[in-house]
This record gives sequence, C-alpha cells and structure tokens, in this order.
Amino acid sequence: MTRALTFENVSKTYALASGGSKYALRSVSFGVSPGRKVAIVGRSGSGKSTLLHLAAGIDGPSSGTVRVLERDFNTLSEGERTRMRRDEIGLIFQFFHLLPLLSVRDNVRLPAMIAGDRGSAARSRAEELLERVGLADRLDDAVQQLSGGEMQRVAICRALLRRPRLLLADEPTGNLDDENGRRVMELLLALTADEGATLIYVTHSRDFASQADAVWEIHSGELQI
Amino acid sequence: MIGYFCKALGAHLRRGRSLLLLTVLGVALGVASVLSIQIINLNALAAFEGSMQAVSGDADLSVLGRMPALPESLYVDVLAEPGVQSAWPLVRVRAVLDGHEDFFLDIVGVDFFAPVRVPWQGDPVDFSQPLGQSGWAAFTPQLAAKMGWRIGDAVTVSKGSQRLPLRVGALVDFQRLTPLASPKLVLMDIAQAQHLLGRKGWVQQIDVVVAEGADVDLVRQRLQARLGAAVQVLTPAQRTRQTAGLLAAFRLNLTALSLISLFVGLFLIYTSTQASLVRRRAEFGMLRSLGATRGQLFALIVGEVVLLGALGVLAGLPLGYWAAQANVERVSATLTNLYLLDEISTLKLPPWLFGLAALSGIGGALAGALIPALDMSRRNARALLSDFTLHEKIGSLAPQLGALGTTVLILTGGWYTWLGRTWQPAGFVLAIAILSALPLLTPLAIRTLTGWIAVRGFGLGYSLKSLGARLQNSALAVASLAIAVSMLLGITLMVGSFRQTLQVWIRTTVQADIYIAPLAWRGQGDEAFLAPDLVRALRLFPGVQAMDRLRGFVAYADEQRVALAGVDIGLPGGSSRFALLAGTPQRVYREVRENGAVLIGETLARRRNLWPGDSLDLYTPAGRQSFAIAGVYYDYSPQGGAVIMDLQTLTAHWGEAGLNSVALYLEPDRDAEVVVDALRAAFADAAIEIRSNRRLRQEAFAIFDQTFAITRLLQGISLLIAVCGIALMLLVQAREQVSELALYRAVGATRTQLFGFFIGKGMGMGLLGLLLGAGGGILLALILVFVINRAYFGWTIQLYWPWQAIVQQVLIILLGAVAASLYPALKASKTPAMELRREDV
Repeated sequence: MTRALTFENVSKTYALASGGSKYALRSVSFGVSPGRKVAIVGRSGSGKSTLLHLAAGIDGPSSGTVRVLERDFNTLSEGERTRMRRDEIGLIFQFFHLLPLLSVRDNVRLPAMIAGDRGSAARSRAEELLERVGLADRLDDAVQQLSGGEMQRVAICRALLRRPRLLLADEPTGNLDDENGRRVMELLLALTADEGATLIYVTHSRDFASQADAVWEIHSGELQI
Repeated sequence: MIGYFCKALGAHLRRGRSLLLLTVLGVALGVASVLSIQIINLNALAAFEGSMQAVSGDADLSVLGRMPALPESLYVDVLAEPGVQSAWPLVRVRAVLDGHEDFFLDIVGVDFFAPVRVPWQGDPVDFSQPLGQSGWAAFTPQLAAKMGWRIGDAVTVSKGSQRLPLRVGALVDFQRLTPLASPKLVLMDIAQAQHLLGRKGWVQQIDVVVAEGADVDLVRQRLQARLGAAVQVLTPAQRTRQTAGLLAAFRLNLTALSLISLFVGLFLIYTSTQASLVRRRAEFGMLRSLGATRGQLFALIVGEVVLLGALGVLAGLPLGYWAAQANVERVSATLTNLYLLDEISTLKLPPWLFGLAALSGIGGALAGALIPALDMSRRNARALLSDFTLHEKIGSLAPQLGALGTTVLILTGGWYTWLGRTWQPAGFVLAIAILSALPLLTPLAIRTLTGWIAVRGFGLGYSLKSLGARLQNSALAVASLAIAVSMLLGITLMVGSFRQTLQVWIRTTVQADIYIAPLAWRGQGDEAFLAPDLVRALRLFPGVQAMDRLRGFVAYADEQRVALAGVDIGLPGGSSRFALLAGTPQRVYREVRENGAVLIGETLARRRNLWPGDSLDLYTPAGRQSFAIAGVYYDYSPQGGAVIMDLQTLTAHWGEAGLNSVALYLEPDRDAEVVVDALRAAFADAAIEIRSNRRLRQEAFAIFDQTFAITRLLQGISLLIAVCGIALMLLVQAREQVSELALYRAVGATRTQLFGFFIGKGMGMGLLGLLLGAGGGILLALILVFVINRAYFGWTIQLYWPWQAIVQQVLIILLGAVAASLYPALKASKTPAMELRREDV
C-alpha cells in the first residue's frame, strides 16, 4: 500500500562548537497511511520540529531515508523537493507567518502565485476555504487586523490551497489561548478530513493530541510509537 | 564600554562585510567627487596665480590694458609717478609650438636690464646673447626635458598665421620661484619679442615696484588717475580676484554637482546605519538594561559610523586625486577654450584640501547617521527589547513626510515668485528645495503607487508590492536613486537642449563656406593675426565670391570683460550671421554700418539690462567711448558678454591691426571641400587652419562636448553611489527578510524564483527611482535652463527633449539596478526554508 510518509532509520545530528555532535533524531522509523492523523508530543528540544522539517524536505537527514508518497527525498534534487513541497505538502507554523504586504485572500493564494497559477480557480478555492473557516467577510482585510486565531485559520487555508496530500503542522495552537486553540484544532481536523489529507501535527497539549488517530511520543530524538 | 565597542565592532564588521564595503564605497565616492572638483577648482585659479607669480612675482602693482595692448609710451608716465621705485614693461603673447596641436607657449618679453629676478638654471646669462641673437629664447628645464631640447636647438612656433624660428638660448626654472609656474613659459628680450611678433611699440603689461615705505594702494590710485581709465592698475590680489570672478559660475556649478554626489552618499549612510540599528536593537536593549546610558549608546553608534566614514575618506582621498588627475586635461582645455586662461600644468594640493574632503566625508557620515542614532539612543530598554521594529515608522509617517515635502516645494516656489527672482543664486535654492522634497515625497509615492498594484503572481508586481511593504529600506534607496536620476535627467535635458539650441543657432549664423584662422586660434586670443598679404591672396583665390573679415579681442565695458568683434556688417546677405533677439534687422544693420552703432549679445544685455536705444561705454585708446546699441542678438559666449560692430568702426576707434579670422563665401556650384583642399595646397607654409563649414560645426560641438565632460563624470559618480544604495538595500533586505524568504521556500518557491523576486525588487527600485527622478529631473532642467543659466550666463536656451540620450540613460539605470541586485539576489536565493524563525514575518 502507498504510504503518505515513511521514515526508515532516520537520524539527524548537529555538529557542536566544542567538537563532536548531538543527535536531534536517532534511528527513527515509521510509516503513515494516507488519510491518517498522527499527533507527535514531546518536550521542547526533543526533536519534534526536526522531524517535521525532514518530512517537509526543508532539511535533510544525516542518515536513513525519508519518503513522501513513496518518493525518496534522498534521490530527489533540491528543486524536485521544492516542487514536492509546493504540490504535495502543506505546512502550518506556530507563528502563522503571514505576509503583511498581502491581503487575507492573497496570503491564502500565495502558494498558487508561487506555482505560477494565475487562474481564477485559485482565487475561488481561496475564497471557498476562507468561507469554510468563517472568514468570508475578511477577504480584503490586511492580516494585521486579524486576531491570533483568525491568523492561524488563514494559515491553515494557505496550507490547504493546493490540496496537498500531506499536511504538517508545527504546534498550530502553540501561540493561541485555550479557546482559540480548541477552535483552530477542530477546524484543522475537520478540514483535513474533508480534503482527505494525511495530517501530522506536533503539540504540547495532551487534549489536542488525543483527537488524532495515533499519538507518538518523542524523547531525546527517539520516537516511541 | 570601549572594550565592548571594539569587540562588538569587530564582530559586526566581520558579519556584514558586503554591507560594510558598500557603505565605505558610498562615502569614498562622495568624498572623491568633492575632492576632485575642489582640486580642479583650486588649480584652475592656482594655474593663473602660478604664472602671475613667476612673471610678476616682484611687482606690487601691474598696469594692464582694457584693450589688447598698451602703448609703450605709458612706461614713462608710470616711472614719473613719485611712489614708483621701479617699473618694467612686459610683452606677453601666446604662440603654438609647431607640430603640436593646442600646445601653447606663453612667451614673455622682458627687459633684461630691469630689476627682475630671473631664476636662470646654471650660470647667469650673458645679456649680449638674448639681445644680439635673433630668436634667442629661454625655456623651462621641464619643457626642454619633455621635448628633448638642448641649448642651441631650433624651435619653431607659430604666432597667428606666421611661423617664427626660435632658438633654445638658456634654461630658466620658474618653478624654483613658484612651484605652480607653468613649464610652458618662455622668456625673450622684449625688443626681440616685439619685432618677431610684429607689435613694435606696444606692450601688454607694465609691472611696478612701489618705493619703500610708500602706501601701495595710494600709489595704485594715483597711477590709475594719471594713466586714465583705458588701463587698469591692479595689485596681485585684485588680479586673482578678477580671474576668480571670471571663473565663479564655472566653479560654482562644478561644486554644486559634486555636493549632490555627497548628498546621495549621505542617504547610503542613513540607510545602512538604520538597517544596522534595527538588526541590533535587542543588543542595545540588553546594554541599556545592564546600565548603559543613552549617551554611551549614542557614542557607540556614532563611533562606528565615524569609523566607517573614516574608512570611506581613506579610500576617497586617493580616488579623488586620481579623478582630478584624470580630468585635469579636459578642464584645462575648457579653461583655455572658453576663458583664455592658463592651462593647469601642476596640481597644487594644500593639506587643508584633504582636511576639507575628510571633514565632508566624516561630517556626511555623521549627518546621515544622526537621526537613526538619536532615535535609537532615546528609546528605553523595554522598547528596545520588545519586538518593535522601525519598519512601520517611515510607512506610518509617509503622509506627514509627503505633506512636508509638498510644503517645502510650495514655500520655495512662493518665495521665488515674490521675493527671490532678482537674487542671482535663487536657482540653486530652488534646486536644493527639489532635491530635499524628493526624498520626503518618496515614501508616500511608493506606498501610493505600489498600493495600486494588484498582485496576481510571484513576478515583478509582487516584487514591487513588497517594496511598498518595506518602506524603511526601499524608500531610502529609491530616494537616493531618484536624486541621482533627477540630476542626470535634469542635466541631460539642459545639455541636450543647449546643444540643440546651439545647432539651430549655428545653422542660422554660420553660413560662410570656408573659415580660416591661425592654427589653434582658440588658445591664442587677441594676438593671433592673419598676415595681410595672406588675407589678400585668400580674397583673390579662384572660386571665392566674398570674404567676411573678423577682428576680435577682449575689451572692457566699465569693469566687465566683453568679447569685442568687428566684422564686415555690410556684406551682402551677411545679415543672417546674427540671430536678433531685439531690434528690426534692416534698421539694426543700417545703424551698425552707417552710424557706428553696436550689436550686443544677450548675455550682456540681460546682465546690464541694456536694450536697443541704450548705449554702451567701451574703453578705447582715446578713452571711454559711448556706442549706441542698435540690436541684441542671441549669443552663447561664456565670457560675460559680446559686442559686435562694423570693422571700420572698430579700426576707427582701436587703430589698424591684423585680422583674427576670415570667412569665405564661394561662387555657386563650388564644392567647399574641393576648395579647402586647394587652399591647403596653396598655403601649405602658412600656420593656418582651413575649415569647411561642416568641419567648423563639428569642432564647435567637440568643444561643447568637452566642456560638459566633467559634468558627465559627476553624474556618473552620483549614479554609481545610488546603484550602490540599491545593492546595499537589497543586501539589508536579504538579511532582514530571512523569515519571509524562508516562508516562500517552505511553501514551494524555488531558488530561481527567489532570485527573480530580488531582481524584480532591484528593477522595481530602478523603475520607481526613474519615475520619481523624472519628475525631479524635469523640474531641475527647467530651473537650470530658465533660472540658473539665465542668472549666471544669460543665454536663451529652447527646451528640447534629447530622446535618444534619455532612452539610453533609462536603460543604463535599469541595467545598473539589475546589476546591483545580482549579488543580493544570489544571497537571498540561498535562504533555506529552515530559517523560519519564531517571530512573525
């Protein structure tokens, strides 16, 4: 069966200024089937974000193999990995990373702009997604005028715009209060299910983690499934 | 704190080498621009002073004519003045060294028995030689070495149309007396000089030593009263001031242009300082929270800027000297062509000049850094440690800054309309107002223009939009480019318009088929005569239908130098030689021909407010004479004014003398180039230049282009600084926008796309700078043409659009902007998606 994401004996080390190296991930192996929702929990510095970076292809492993939709990142060029990220992967960050120079709608459209898609389909898709997250009346607003929860909803729409098959979220509620965090989490899970995407998200909250199909814990770079 | 300063400075400089390099380069270019122009300006005058000191170093006073020459008999009158201890006459003539185009020798005829100090090289000369040997002349050792001459060698020079044989009789080292003395000074016995040069009984100057204890000024006044108004009795300082006055507009314009380069450089400093401070705000917050005072913080920031300024100065000084040296020949040629002044042969470099350049560099750097440094040092520790950035500051201030810029323009415009019109430097105030308003209007203009752009894709529109969102960086880079573009376009428009106006004027006025003048007539001035038998032979030459004769020299209308010329005003069809600005042609020419009236040039008319019906006083050998003004003609001479009269009137008042040039009108169907060849063959021995109408026009424009060569260099320097500003800005953005760039990478932008995004930004800055600069440039051109030019030169210039030059410059600017973006774009494209930081984008 085709897997959405596969890690095989993946390790990531960082060189230390004093010499030697430090493991961020140590021999991590797992496979995620399409449509599954997996929560990863762990303390700060345990390697959660490193795992997501490797899954997104924005960083490479020191050893082992990362495969997204059965395509081995080790065999792909940097450009091919970028195009994979553009077409197949959606990313959501703790700090939203919205661009103040663009309106709400254009922030959502950004991946389509980068992909050179200037048709009206991307615009309609952005508006449809924003309507689904309750921001239909804020399309032309500046993102600075939004609340934290609203900003994260925009960021989720942006990640889903090009119908990615793999969605990676790095502490999507980490910068929100409990109430907003709960709403955003609900929306993220619902939208992912509607789109049929695979979701892997990192969270500190046991509550939010429990809403996933599986909860994996990471300690000092070692993954416990 | 000093220890921290050194460590922090070292770390910052190591981390931002490219930024450091661009900042230092910006200061260096600004300093170089100012220094090179000051060197040239200073030496233009110093060349005159050097020759004056070498020739008249011992004299307290010099008696000079308000006509081409003084009668020798005045010498007796000078000696009769009780306060005069001694006096000696001088003959001064320029001659061309045979076989060397535009190589002028300044021949000085002296009385060797007069008490003049002659710095002979080697044994003192036995005076029987200079007096007894025909053509005996003493040359400087510098010139002799350059030409490979030795004592006894023959040297041929031409004076007017005649070739004269000289002999190297001795060496005289004027540079021992004054280091700036021209190596082209040649000393002869006065009688020999008069004989050889055909000016027997006439001298150019009488130098006077005042008796010990006598009051120099009193003697000067008494001599002036005794000799009459036809001569000037001047102290060396007065002579220098007179020359300085002649060059004032020339020097002022060059200084203004060089200061614009420094002004553009100032923006570069402002931008780089602000960028550096924004990046280090947390560090400053930490220092403040650990107890550093505001003063210490201010000193820390300013200390770094002073150091960068000092590095820029260190690089700028040799660059400025080199630029001055590389351009001294062009400027020297302009001085000789336009003002008949001495060439600059040696560069005088007083230490204060370097001090001034250093001060301008460090002062400029401090001025550029002052506002951001004060702003940062005033903030408290909490504000510095918060996520506050200066990004929004310019953006939020854009409307206020725009309003301030508009107010500056309105107030200055109002001041000029109601009060400033009659004040000569008012044009510069207007130009400064435009150059000051431009950066103030830039943020609002960028915000408005980029606000209209609907972003559809990740292309140029997106890059432009991002400039509007990063006003704190982009506004300054665009503003500095806009200033450089304004200057470039303003001057291009002015020079292009001037050139086109001249073209039309020359087409109207230069109508003879062939022009004949002594070799290198431009540098010889009044004394370059055509031999009378040559003139007769030319008139009778086959194919010549008519001849127009011209005699011209510098005369004085009160204290003002004017170029006086006598022509055959009654020549059939010759009335078109002067394009009249005021006066009816038929009446004007009748008045000039029959009643001894004069035509005056527009420059003189405007400067003295003289129009047809008024009269002009000129100094003649018989004293001050009044001439009725019959008409005013368009005139583009640089010497403060021109006067034309009929040749007969000129001869009647100033006496017989040779002609300086003639113009030949050929019979119909004669080919001018064929006749030119025939004339050259027939008069091969004469030291004359025979030019067809076409060739004369070409040469006129070659001189015109040479005159503006230094201007183009200054334009180039400003543009280079502005392009450095773009590179600097984009490098700053590549650093500051790491998170944004990482986001693009994270959502699928390729490196090529990021590269293109930054190239787009560079091109966007180029486009915005061009757009804003075009507005400023057109205004500047109008001021240059209709205000500054009118006030300082009095020329009428029609406004023309030199499209070819403008399109060429637009392309160069855009290419420059793109080239400036290449390195920052490369850096930006290498940003990994991993660089997404915790703070918001």
